[in-house]
Amino acid sequence: MTESNEKQEKTIPFYPDHFMSEFRVTIAIAVILVIIGAVALIYPVGLGEPADELKTPEHIKPEWYFLGLYQLLKYIPKTAGVLLPILGVILVLIWPFIDKKPDTKRQMRIRLIGSILFTIILVALTIWGEVS
Amino acid sequence: MSIPHRKIFSYILLGVALVGVIFVITSTVHAQRMKAEGISLSELYQPDPNLAAQALDSLNANSSGGGEDLLPPDPFQDQCLHCHILGEETRLWTPFIRWATFGTIALVFVFAVYQNASVWGNRKPWVPIVTRVSEWLDARYQTQEFLSTFLKKPVPIWATRWWYCLGGITAFLFVVQGITGVLLAFYYIPTPEEAYASIQFIESQVLFGASIRAIHHWSANGMVIMCFAHLLRVFIMGAFKPPRELNWSSGVLLLLFTLAFGLTGYLLPWDQRAYWASTVATEIAGAFPHIGELILVMLRVGWNVTGETLSRFYAMHILVLPVMIIAVMGLHFIMVRRQGVTQPL
Repeated sequence: MTESNEKQEKTIPFYPDHFMSEFRVTIAIAVILVIIGAVALIYPVGLGEPADELKTPEHIKPEWYFLGLYQLLKYIPKTAGVLLPILGVILVLIWPFIDKKPDTKRQMRIRLIGSILFTIILVALTIWGEVS
Repeated sequence: MSIPHRKIFSYILLGVALVGVIFVITSTVHAQRMKAEGISLSELYQPDPNLAAQALDSLNANSSGGGEDLLPPDPFQDQCLHCHILGEETRLWTPFIRWATFGTIALVFVFAVYQNASVWGNRKPWVPIVTRVSEWLDARYQTQEFLSTFLKKPVPIWATRWWYCLGGITAFLFVVQGITGVLLAFYYIPTPEEAYASIQFIESQVLFGASIRAIHHWSANGMVIMCFAHLLRVFIMGAFKPPRELNWSSGVLLLLFTLAFGLTGYLLPWDQRAYWASTVATEIAGAFPHIGELILVMLRVGWNVTGETLSRFYAMHILVLPVMIIAVMGLHFIMVRRQGVTQPL
């Protein structure tokens, strides 16, 4: 078998093969969204009390995706708490310009463990922020 | 002699003739029925001088509240009162002219049918409308070449595993956000006095308003999660390695834009949760050394969260951020298409 034939065997055309599988995923998500919409007819998202700048509620919380950061800010100095995430974001932005070496299995495992740890910490902080 | 013109003309005649034929057939059937019932046409269609006066009377009685109901119509009464009350039906000329007119049209119809049917033998092979449109476009803009390279691009078999669709789900959710966001913007009013009430209006009065808001709300959360999951997948699999540095950087930018969407969108309902969450979130930005206060004032348009903050967040949410995110998304997709999906180790 020639090289080109081998290559042909390992690929599928984008349309219609791959497109249809993507389409099925899209339909599944759309069905979930329609179910959310149907449920909302009975249980809408709803609103809290109207905003009142003179009445501060007891527990102020930001959106859930800033909750981990907010919880972190409570326990470390303010300046560090702001600089750390910004430096973190910049580091993440330029990460591929730092980590240029060809990939190895070992590196991949380290990144996997690191990502899992980061996610666990983030989720823990978020849950902590939610219940505190 | 140009055939297309003749064809169009004969189609118009065909339509007119069809109406005529139907009319002739129905009136003939009607006349036959009358004959079978033993109703004399001349008797039935005698003009009645009292009829108009009677109708006027009953109308007057109704409008003055007399309460006298109009009698139901006679079942054998002719439908075409306009002609028949005037007594035209009794003459010979009316049916004669009718037959002459519609008969001629029917002859033209038969001729047109023959004309069209005669070219059946040497007709062009039938082509579906989609193919015809695509050929028309291709003749002008050479779309076929571009489309086939786009659509027929081979996808490696390992790139069809489920974890490769996280980015696609994010993109789909963004489209959903765009559509539902536009629908919400039709009713939402971004002022501190009206914002809360307009959301209440959407939830209670607008048809499927609660559904649209719920979909916007939950798919916003889903988009953040999917974005983060996609980032983790790319990071763990090392898909950011050269030559895909800019894919990664633009992707991180997209995540930041998504979070900015979340931050600006959260204030819009203008309830206590939204108000104080935005206060807290902008306060975090205010802790930045040296320029923190500047950022805080820029975000809030003043020292406190007010109606101006709402206007600014709304403008960011529906004007600035969509333009930016769509531009970066376009770049992201083009780069991904150019380089293909990374082969895992």
